[in-house]
Amino acid sequence: MFRRVALLALGMLVVTSPTFGQTLRVALNQDIRSSEPGVNRDGNTDVVMTNVVEGLVSYDKGGAVGPLLAASYQISPDGKAYTFKLRKSVRFHNGNPLTAADVVWNFDRYMNPKTSWYCLNDFNGTNGTKVVSYSAPDADTFVLQIDKPDALFLDSMARTDCGGLAIIDKASLKPDGSWDKPIGTGPFIFGVWKHGQSVQFDAYKDYVSPPGKERDGFIGKKAPLVDHVVFMAIPDGATVKAGLESGEIDVAVVPESDVKELRANKNLAVEVGTTPVRNAFILQTRDPVLRDVRVRQALAISLDYKQIVDAVTEGLGRVNNSPVFDTSGFFGDVEKKGFEYNPDKARELLKEAGYKGQQITVHANKRSTVPSFPMTVLAQQMWQAVGLNVNIEVLDWPTQLSKYGTGGYMMQSTSYSPRFDVASGFEQISGDKDKQPRKVWDNPDALTMIDKAMETLDPVVRQPIFDKLHTMLLNDVPIILTHNRVACMAHSAKVEGVEPTSFSYGMWGVTKKD
Amino acid sequence: MRNFVAANAAIGSFIIGVLFIVAGIGAIWTPYDPLGISFRDKLVPPSPGHWLGTDEFGRDVVSRLMAGAATSVWISVTTVVIAVTIGILIGVTSGYSRGWFDRIVMSLNDALLAFPGILLALGLLAVLGANKYGIIVALGIAYAPSVARVVRGTVLSIREREFIAASRVVGNSEAYTMMRHVLPNCLAPLTVLTTSMFGWVLLAESSLSFLGLGVPPPAPTWGNMLASARPYIGQAVWLAVLPGLCISITLLGINLLGDALRDRLDPRMRDRT
Amino acid sequence: MLRFILARIAMALPTLLIVTVSVFLLIRMVPGDPAALMLGDNADPASIAMLHAKLGLDKPLPTQFAVWFGNLLTGDLGSSIASGQQVLPLVWSRFLISAQVVVAAVLLACAAAVPAGVFAAWRQNGKLDIGCVSIATLLMSIPTFWLGLLLLLFLGLKLRWLPVVGYVGIAEDPWRGTLYLIMPILTLFLHEMGVILRMARASTLEVMRLDYITHARAKGLTEGAVLWRHAFKNSFGPTWTLIGLVLGNLLGGVAVVETVFTIPGIGRLLVDAIFGRDYPVIQGCMLMVALVYVVVNLLVDLCYPLFDPRVTIE
Repeated sequence: MFRRVALLALGMLVVTSPTFGQTLRVALNQDIRSSEPGVNRDGNTDVVMTNVVEGLVSYDKGGAVGPLLAASYQISPDGKAYTFKLRKSVRFHNGNPLTAADVVWNFDRYMNPKTSWYCLNDFNGTNGTKVVSYSAPDADTFVLQIDKPDALFLDSMARTDCGGLAIIDKASLKPDGSWDKPIGTGPFIFGVWKHGQSVQFDAYKDYVSPPGKERDGFIGKKAPLVDHVVFMAIPDGATVKAGLESGEIDVAVVPESDVKELRANKNLAVEVGTTPVRNAFILQTRDPVLRDVRVRQALAISLDYKQIVDAVTEGLGRVNNSPVFDTSGFFGDVEKKGFEYNPDKARELLKEAGYKGQQITVHANKRSTVPSFPMTVLAQQMWQAVGLNVNIEVLDWPTQLSKYGTGGYMMQSTSYSPRFDVASGFEQISGDKDKQPRKVWDNPDALTMIDKAMETLDPVVRQPIFDKLHTMLLNDVPIILTHNRVACMAHSAKVEGVEPTSFSYGMWGVTKKD
Repeated sequence: MRNFVAANAAIGSFIIGVLFIVAGIGAIWTPYDPLGISFRDKLVPPSPGHWLGTDEFGRDVVSRLMAGAATSVWISVTTVVIAVTIGILIGVTSGYSRGWFDRIVMSLNDALLAFPGILLALGLLAVLGANKYGIIVALGIAYAPSVARVVRGTVLSIREREFIAASRVVGNSEAYTMMRHVLPNCLAPLTVLTTSMFGWVLLAESSLSFLGLGVPPPAPTWGNMLASARPYIGQAVWLAVLPGLCISITLLGINLLGDALRDRLDPRMRDRT
Repeated sequence: MLRFILARIAMALPTLLIVTVSVFLLIRMVPGDPAALMLGDNADPASIAMLHAKLGLDKPLPTQFAVWFGNLLTGDLGSSIASGQQVLPLVWSRFLISAQVVVAAVLLACAAAVPAGVFAAWRQNGKLDIGCVSIATLLMSIPTFWLGLLLLLFLGLKLRWLPVVGYVGIAEDPWRGTLYLIMPILTLFLHEMGVILRMARASTLEVMRLDYITHARAKGLTEGAVLWRHAFKNSFGPTWTLIGLVLGNLLGGVAVVETVFTIPGIGRLLVDAIFGRDYPVIQGCMLMVALVYVVVNLLVDLCYPLFDPRVTIE
């Protein structure tokens, strides 16, 4: 105990000169946006904060939802009532025990519009399901009512962009109700945050792990095995690499192009895996040129995907033309079949469509975390080879995003954030363009089928729907998906337990030898 | 010293001469297609096939440097022309009219001078579209104020001189007087300024590209070549070294030439050496 | 003296106002929406509207400006959209970091370049002069971002003498903090040394031609005394003005060096804020940069009489 107090007191000094215990230094390309889960966030922030806070449920390795702070849950036969039993002996970082009353308090806070919770509209009925009521019949039980059956409700509760519905202690807020810092139940305690530079987490020695023999996504066995984790914001890729090589950084996500070089260094190791992030070219189906489905099909079949994916992932990635990510249980034989590469047929289609060399502009951006630009450069050459007059316009990301939001583009090279649930993955790209111009696939039949897939979690019902949707998408070509993001985690050879997946910034179970 | 100055002038002129020739050739012909991708030839070190190696897309670096020179020179020259034209217009009118007009224009001018180029460039680029025309206009506007300052200064210092008054007395219009008598007197300081400005623009274009705000790839400029070379600095040193070297040598040439011109044209310096 | 300062501040106010207004308008003309950026690729209209309302971006532009400007007058620059931090302390802390690098580099550059320039002028046309001028011209011609990269490659990666990643405040850890600052300071130092040396030499030469130097020499003063008492002291004025300009410009434009060496200074804050469309931070940074420019120039003018007795401030 004294040690913890001392650590807290010395926190300011410890950050940069870690004399107490081991420190794991992890590079982030950008500082976390805030310490308030599910409110002010981005992809990095979501995963980094899973070290500190936990929700009732979360994802396992394969993207299925399982209990985290809950020991178990039950859904009523009518599908509208959820009963969660809390795990016993879980304590917040300040020592307070976790009770169902805390969960109620957290729901009150999230459902209050003043909190500006990122997912409020997905829980208050604006975008579908509405939470009708919730209560704590006893200290270990939390009961929640929704207005209609929703097969994806637990998935919504687990969504990382919603903060995983993190349950935090009341003391996370200042007396005036404003945000202070998260006091959660996770394996690490939120320590000193130097805005724009680094944030330090300290091991929570009294952490109680969920059941499980080994780490399983955000659930399973969890334990803080290093004394401190420091996430350092280093936007420059070359600097990150230099830091890994000099030993100043222990763990970092690196681009595929660095893998070969880093693997050659015997002090370093690189783990490679794929994530549900999908890279794609999107096509504006209302554009005068691209309205013709034959032009869109020509664009799709004139690309040699193997060559593109090999080039941008240094041979580490796999072609995937489906919105179903390649590690999903639903990624079957039908999904494996993508566009056929056939330049001759592409030329024929263009001739039929009466394409006369009208310029097609593709928006791309040079963010180092996405393959947008290199993918477009490679594709441009293949398109030009079949007579498509394609021009690249490089934009900064906010500009490209705003054009995406209004549908003001011909084509864009972009990446879609992960959806663990496959139906949500389809929903993400589909919708009525009149209502939501950012949606790329506006096909009423598809929308009906997606709704159907959302009503159940039964794979027997869902698989045929996804198969059909995939085939329809290949014919409609509102989007040309190329591959799932390859996650490359480079780390010092002293470090063990790093996962190259969407969960990669979860630093529990990671050890560092001296 | 005379030899030193002459040598500097010669070296400077030589560098700039070579630059313009390379840029001229680069605009019409390069050994390989500067945009031609080759998967098999990624990051090839300098070798007989590719004298200065290839980049991360297997594009020939010599060809890209030549094409980059063409783009950079074209951008710099056009930008300088724009900046000088705007600057002269503002400077002459402002210095000649004086009074409240002068005061307002010059405070706007100073505000622009205090404006970091990055933001001005990004703002204008976003409005004009991300292409080389955008950057030319943006940098042209960013550098016009310094021309305006110099021109206005010169105008102020000579407008009370006898020959200007004489020109007026003879009945020449103000515009004619300006063209005939004021502008030629600005020529010497302007030549010196223009030379330096050519360097500034080249540097600004590279810096902006380096920060990701410049001429968008895939079209090569030295600045964006250097920017995209950064991730490969460890494995392909030539990619980062060569464009930087080109920029440095060019700037050196411009500085040497500028010194020589200043010696020749600036009356205060004329009899120094 | 006080009147001079007040008059100068009054003169600077319109400049600051113009900068403020144009930054406000310009950044809003640039496409891109901070709310959409925060919400990402699944931003539905309802969530965007909610966030706009929270950030006050739903109001008409003049109202937004009035609100911001009103707060500015009470010393409140708002808070960052991205991180929620108060802008004023944020900008100020980042500015101090940049200032530390820039001031150190310029001071060192002056200490090395001014004597060298005076010396070169004294030995005009000699081998040393030619050597100094050539080196200075060469240094001046190398862009800082390239010089920085080369240093990083050489001192950091090949020789491993200096750390390449991160930043530590000097106050927290003097030793490591200094190590992190060596390369950025060295980069700026080398570049500015070229610029200042040439200026110091040129203005000394200007003075050396004047009659009183000849007179002083004729009086039989030693060369050292002539150089110091007459030439150097009288020639420092123009050099001092240039140093002021260099300082003002650098403080606004160190973004490039800060990017190369990942120093969390004001330049990087500004560039990051631009890419994140973090309006309050952009406005705060720009105001700060413009203010620094004005203040540095004012200080330079106020100090001018110290170096050039011929000039007095009224």
